[in-house]
Amino acid sequence: MKGASLAHIVLVIAALAAVPLLTASNVVLNFLVVALLVALVGQGWNVLAGYGGQYSFGHAAFFGTGAYVTAILQMRYGVNAWIAFTLGIAGGALVGAAIGALAFRSGLRGSYFALVTLAFAEVLRILASVAPVTGAGVGILIALDLRPQAFQFQGRVPFYWIVLTLVAVSLLIVRLIEQSRFGAWLVAVRENEDAARAVGVDTARVKLAAMTISAAITAAGGGFYAQYFLFIDSGIAYGPWISIAALLAPIVGGIGTVFGPLLGALVVKTLGEIAKLVTGDAPGLDLVVYGGVLILVVAFAPQGIAGLLTSLRLRFARLRSSPPERAHG
Amino acid sequence: MSHWSARITRRKLLQRTAVGAAAATGVVNAPSVLRAQGSAVKLGVLHPVSGALSYSGQQGRLGATIAIDEINAAGGIKALGGARIEAVLGDAQSTPEGGNAEVEKMNAAAVAVIVGGYSSSICLTASQTAARYDLPYLVDVGVADNIVTRGLKNTFRFGPGFGVIAKTALDNLVTINDQAGKPAKTVMIVHEDSLFGSGLAKLLNAQLPERGFQVLETIPHPTPTRDFNNVALKIKTQNPDLVIPADYYNEYVLLARTMQQQRVRPKGIYSVLGGAASSYKFVKEFPEAAQYIMDCNHWFDPRNPKALALKKKVEDRGEFYTYEVFMNYSCILLVADALERAGSAERAKMIAALESSTFAGHVMPYGPTKFVDGQNQGAAPVNTQVLGNDIQLIFPQTFATAKPVFPVPPA
Repeated sequence: MKGASLAHIVLVIAALAAVPLLTASNVVLNFLVVALLVALVGQGWNVLAGYGGQYSFGHAAFFGTGAYVTAILQMRYGVNAWIAFTLGIAGGALVGAAIGALAFRSGLRGSYFALVTLAFAEVLRILASVAPVTGAGVGILIALDLRPQAFQFQGRVPFYWIVLTLVAVSLLIVRLIEQSRFGAWLVAVRENEDAARAVGVDTARVKLAAMTISAAITAAGGGFYAQYFLFIDSGIAYGPWISIAALLAPIVGGIGTVFGPLLGALVVKTLGEIAKLVTGDAPGLDLVVYGGVLILVVAFAPQGIAGLLTSLRLRFARLRSSPPERAHG
Repeated sequence: MSHWSARITRRKLLQRTAVGAAAATGVVNAPSVLRAQGSAVKLGVLHPVSGALSYSGQQGRLGATIAIDEINAAGGIKALGGARIEAVLGDAQSTPEGGNAEVEKMNAAAVAVIVGGYSSSICLTASQTAARYDLPYLVDVGVADNIVTRGLKNTFRFGPGFGVIAKTALDNLVTINDQAGKPAKTVMIVHEDSLFGSGLAKLLNAQLPERGFQVLETIPHPTPTRDFNNVALKIKTQNPDLVIPADYYNEYVLLARTMQQQRVRPKGIYSVLGGAASSYKFVKEFPEAAQYIMDCNHWFDPRNPKALALKKKVEDRGEFYTYEVFMNYSCILLVADALERAGSAERAKMIAALESSTFAGHVMPYGPTKFVDGQNQGAAPVNTQVLGNDIQLIFPQTFATAKPVFPVPPA
């Protein structure tokens, strides 16, 4: 999966783009919109953690900022929804840069960095739950206005196209990073930060840039969430659920790979639905099944599904190239 | 007819959809569709039966399913040739996204109406999604005022909203305090920090000073919170005459127990929509912590034999008779009445039937329903107090079963 070519990306996006042509079911579309939203947020996390080795537990900080900026500019200042959405991405990137500057300047690494990001997200959640501009605990309801210029649509299909476009852009960004000099620096930082610095990589700047890009991608997810559900409060925007979703998808799919987050999000969400199907109307049992399967995935495929596929492919290739007796022996 | 065509398209969908994820969701939907009978009316019953609000959600589901069973046992919907009501159960997983996804499934399963939601944030998003399909949505509990002020034609609320609840609660508090010789002057508010608790705290902070009470401090906390020691200590230090908690069930119980353990004894605990204050479960499990707590909440009409029969039925099952049960029970009866009058499960006709509803066969002290802009005008909370091992209705006098005990007698 690593080193995915442009053709792979085009193929995957084209396959996903074909879904609305095959089905008009809003159940399926809603499911896929939410899964793609998680993929987008996960991709943001993947840039920083998968490629840069900086494990954040607080991507809610960027998601929530994107969501709140989008909602507040519209409802309090009458800004057009599309412009508000764009500014939401910028706002998220700014928060990412600010947290990154503070954390990396202080030389925080590993679990300390993770804890600091978690703390920032919690601080923002608490601020949002009391500040009047965010509607405090009451949250913000974006007025129903089903017009494309208000970033609201009667059907689910336009939302699907939009989130798919965002995912496609995020895939392209990650591929660009992977093939660029910046990507090489980033991976060098992940593998050994001291060695990277020794060979002349400006590690602080590289990490900061990665964090800003990561935050911007995640903020796009937040802004999209606000437009799709039209209601956010502090628990939704800055709550730990989204930080967990952001890291779960790439970890299950395969961190540090282009398709990992997308694969992971689809698998995790599908798993959740299948668990619901299997357990019927028994409350909460689906979550138990879901959790159990997740543990199995992490236990037996620590490199994620992408890693599992790669190792299977390698094993298969070995089987084919080596003499049969050795393969069996 | 509509679900026949829906069924065919979904089948085709299942055959044609190559994407695994898409197929999986389609399958999720299939059982409820295949269950469809010609003579059944489907009702969406949506509650947060897992996650942080699971207890309330399960209680809500219980009330709704009891009502549905009773209607079916009594011969179904007569105007539709004795059509049975078939519940399409949904779990909102205590999140707005979860509620939204369930509404999509219920719409695809061609339900006539959706009842439930429980929390305000789930009700807000779920009713909005239902509005896209002109699917009538009857809110069971969700009290945020903006649920019915968004101009959504499909959304109705049987119970009272924040505005009415807060006003009634304050009026009654002033009356109870005046009758006791005004022992209470200072107040502390403890509230959970989502839509319900914060909205209430905001209203109380604005209105309590106007009525002669001084608010010493307002303490927000998230749901779930598993430790109230600091909050209880703060209360002990400030020593207010009244503590007003606005929490969901678990946090409410924990707060009351922590206050009891730390011997924090204000002159009264007066809650507004207290998650546990009007709960038989709380009274049975922690009678000492619950003693003398007053609440302004949804409560059944204790003079109504139907309400008492339901109480017995629920208790015979070993469950507690909580407000979620009788609110949802009443909502389903209200929908059944609308179905009888509409003579059709068609959505537009159901919306019209709900708009013109004057249903009096429910178990709440509201009088006949009358919806204006989706809000039931007669809906109002009443005051209860835990006395002995029972919950008594202490206000208004027309329904009262006991006199208020305030201030709390010294231990």
